[in-house]
Amino acid sequence: MKTTIVPLGPQHPVLPEPLSFDLVLDNERVIDAVPSIGFIHRGLELLAPKRDFEEYVMIAERVCGICSFMHGMGYSSAVESVLALPVPRRARQLRVILAELSRVHSHLLWLGLAADAFGFENLFMQTWRLREEVLDMFEETTGGRVIFNIVKVGGMRKDIEDATLSRISSRLTAMKPQLKEITDIFLNDYTVKHRLSGLAVLPEAEARELGVVGPMLRASGVVSDQRLGNPMYEGLRWEAAVEKDGDCHARCRVRVKEIFQSIDIIAQAAGAMAADGIAAKIASAPNGEAFYRAEQPRGEAIYYVRGNGTRMLERFRLRTPTFANVPAVVKLLKGTELADVPTIILTIDPCISCMER
Amino acid sequence: MEKLMPALAYALLAPLAGGLLAGADRIVSARMQRRVGPPLLQPFYDVAKLFSKGDVEVNSLQYPLALCHLLFMALAGALFFGGGDILLVIFVFTVAALFLVAAAFSSASPYSFVGAERELIIILAAEPALLIAAAAIYKVSGSLNFHAVAASGAPLIKQLPGVFLCLFYVLTMKLRKSPFDLSYSHHAHQEIVKGITTDLGGRTLALIEITHWYENILLLGLVYLFFAFSAPLALAAVALTYFLEVLADNTNARVRWQLALSSTWTITLLLAGGNLLALYALGGN
Amino acid sequence: MAISPLIPAALANLFKKPATRLYPHEVREPFARTRGSITMREAECIFCGICQNKCPSKAITVVRAEKTWQVDQLRCLACMRCVEVCPKKCIEARSARPAPYGSDRAGSVEKKTGPAAPPTAPAK
Repeated sequence: MKTTIVPLGPQHPVLPEPLSFDLVLDNERVIDAVPSIGFIHRGLELLAPKRDFEEYVMIAERVCGICSFMHGMGYSSAVESVLALPVPRRARQLRVILAELSRVHSHLLWLGLAADAFGFENLFMQTWRLREEVLDMFEETTGGRVIFNIVKVGGMRKDIEDATLSRISSRLTAMKPQLKEITDIFLNDYTVKHRLSGLAVLPEAEARELGVVGPMLRASGVVSDQRLGNPMYEGLRWEAAVEKDGDCHARCRVRVKEIFQSIDIIAQAAGAMAADGIAAKIASAPNGEAFYRAEQPRGEAIYYVRGNGTRMLERFRLRTPTFANVPAVVKLLKGTELADVPTIILTIDPCISCMER
Repeated sequence: MEKLMPALAYALLAPLAGGLLAGADRIVSARMQRRVGPPLLQPFYDVAKLFSKGDVEVNSLQYPLALCHLLFMALAGALFFGGGDILLVIFVFTVAALFLVAAAFSSASPYSFVGAERELIIILAAEPALLIAAAAIYKVSGSLNFHAVAASGAPLIKQLPGVFLCLFYVLTMKLRKSPFDLSYSHHAHQEIVKGITTDLGGRTLALIEITHWYENILLLGLVYLFFAFSAPLALAAVALTYFLEVLADNTNARVRWQLALSSTWTITLLLAGGNLLALYALGGN
Repeated sequence: MAISPLIPAALANLFKKPATRLYPHEVREPFARTRGSITMREAECIFCGICQNKCPSKAITVVRAEKTWQVDQLRCLACMRCVEVCPKKCIEARSARPAPYGSDRAGSVEKKTGPAAPPTAPAK
């Protein structure tokens, strides 16, 4: 059996970020996939003991460009937990709105990349055209398209007026028909289904055993979403998006459902904003440890902080969802065809800069 | 080969026409995606840039093989428009395609290797359709000579609709359009990077680009033949066919090679084979 | 095999205005809140140096003795922390991004000087 070794990565046009798989191929069938990671490790966690804990929010935000808001929010929430700081309701609602908007943005970005991976450039362009509108909403409210600099320990740095919020909500609702048109193609088009259906099936038992998180887990039939039971989301009516098939198409369906759900959550939150201030005053330095779990667009992210009473934290640890999902990819790649490798890698929505910080 | 003038005209003008066609292709594609698109002459600028690059060739075989690819493709087209035997044209065309595959195989890159294998599958998928088309043209018009067929006024499209549709399907593969842009496309995001041209660069890649222009004009010439009884109708049909190919590129994902091969052969058997059988059954002899 | 809904959309797109802008020939008006860059009103500055301390990328340099303040626009993240902490509120947030610089970085450092320092005691 003649085998070739195709190095997929770390630089490859189809990968959004550097990730390396050495694929051992027999003709076009993948026999084995040897992963290598660590290409964009920047040592950001190491900076936590070297920066004032309030300033570190900016570094936490810059762990990743797509998940940036939620990283800042997760870090701040963990520190607020240690400080036992009561964050005003309005600040929490603003966080929910921006977090859900981040989710819409992230899933639109992923849909575009997935379309590009299976060779459908037009769909990629249309999806990203809709994503531009979401980026404009970010810029209008926070001043930045990718890094917002709006969350801080204790709440938010700036307020967003109710009028702006309802305007954004109406624009999102107005975007729904176009979103439906584009997402229907992902769900129903013949060539798209040919590429996604039945691919990389992850049964529920294996999903639990491998420890995957997020849409990967929900597409395999497990109801697991860190927003369930999170006090920030209380009072908002929504359901976790769960599918049973466990293949790439099911994961696509989960993410599409989540986009529409997030738009609804934003509408609900924007219509019921409190007026009790946007930040709590910080009176002390964190002393103690706390965990916070956030539901990033890619899955569960765990933020752990430990402070010793000084202005600089002792330890900050971020367990990102991509890190939990990569072992599943290595397993799913075996036995598939070369043509499906990019689709399978993208099906976990890899965010390598998150994974490697 | 009967007529020298059309053959020479093809050899000299086809790159210009093909380049303009490629430019128009990119602009129409861009507009379908709601982008602006490059200037019309962009393919020419690209080829000029490629020629200006330094020689970083992987081995000494690539350039001569690419040159043979160009020369044989130009020969195929010149034979076709000069009135040569269409069956010979198809075989010279296939030889030209095989030179490109050889150039891709000559490098050690695994991406190039996989791309070359896929290109062979595409050639395999498309050959029967082309051969049946040649046989059908002979059956209806009694000749395998472009000028004779055109002059005979035989309305090929009326008697060979199945063959034409099959040709349209296969054209998608030869023009490197989705859903069949498996081995090489103008977008480098494929799993095999650039496929057969992964390891080809500089002047070698420039030759391949120019060969694509020759190839496109030749294939559109074949489309023209089906409507040759009326020149304005034929030109409109050629334009519409190319437009529909661009539309197909923008409304489909890429399929896996198994589906490409099986669907092409099924369609060839049913539409083209069926058409030909019907002609024999209805027409006698 | 159903007809893809993208076919009528792609055809309709041919007649719509492109969604892309030919930047830099066409530049969009930035939003009011866009964090583009900062500048400073030197008449009000007291050269206290708090902005320099709080800047996360060390883009601002203040020399109190010489009454100079400068910001390296290429280091500035436009995070607007300096705008928040300035006691005199003399740092301004601008929504326009700084213009591109050449490889010599010419003009990338914006320097401001305060009014002339009062005369020091004559050297002995």
